[in-house]
Amino acid sequence: MYEERITAIIEGPAQEFDIVVRITREEDIAVARQMAKQLAQEIGFSLADVTRIATAVSELARNIYRYARQGRIMIRKRLEDGDSPGIEVIAADRGPGIPDIELVLTRGYTTWERSLGIGLSGVKRLMDSFAIHSEVGKGTVVITEKRRRAF
Amino acid sequence: MPIMRVGGYLLVPIQIDLDDRTVGRLQQQLLKEIERTRARAVILDVRMVEVIDSYISYTLSETAAMARLMGCRTILCGIQPPVALTLAQMGVVLQEVAVARNLEHALVLAGSFQERDKGV
Repeated sequence: MYEERITAIIEGPAQEFDIVVRITREEDIAVARQMAKQLAQEIGFSLADVTRIATAVSELARNIYRYARQGRIMIRKRLEDGDSPGIEVIAADRGPGIPDIELVLTRGYTTWERSLGIGLSGVKRLMDSFAIHSEVGKGTVVITEKRRRAF
Repeated sequence: MPIMRVGGYLLVPIQIDLDDRTVGRLQQQLLKEIERTRARAVILDVRMVEVIDSYISYTLSETAAMARLMGCRTILCGIQPPVALTLAQMGVVLQEVAVARNLEHALVLAGSFQERDKGV
């Protein structure tokens, strides 16, 4: 059941998203960040929020590259009736998974040698909503969203 | 990445998107230049940089720590307001890095470091 959900997200139709970036090389981190920035600008986010979103995507893409070697960043506009538009960012991989999610969300915790250990907790702070699903040996999916503030 | 010599300092105007490889290369290049020129301070002008994430922050701090061990201070200037906001919100602390308001201030800071080093 759980595996099916991850599979559905990873192999699901890419056309449901405005942007799908396959992360397989280091350069893809910058590509994902640039594309997220463009879409956020199109949606009309403030410059501060565009920067937050681009930075969050950068962190998520780097985690995929570092820990899972490959995966996907998927981004789409969210237009809901009566609500301000938003952006949804999903990072999905079939990497090693996270044994203890609480722990990786602790600021300063890292298993990487050259890291501040604030990537995931930073994403959580920069975005409006944040959900993480992970299973050891299966993979990790991070679903996060930011809404445009009404002016 | 162009590295300019200004007085006894090195000035690096960063004008491209800092991907991981670029920031790694910049670190190597800077350490070599510090050794070659015996610069007292390095000024990194990040006015054009639109995104500084945790890894870039880490590498900048690491570079500054390395430079410091070679007797050279690192000064960052021109951080854009949205970048400052994002870094603060994430809780990034740039260790070993002195921060200046702008290039002029960075040069003043570099000068003050030099003054302090004179007795040594």
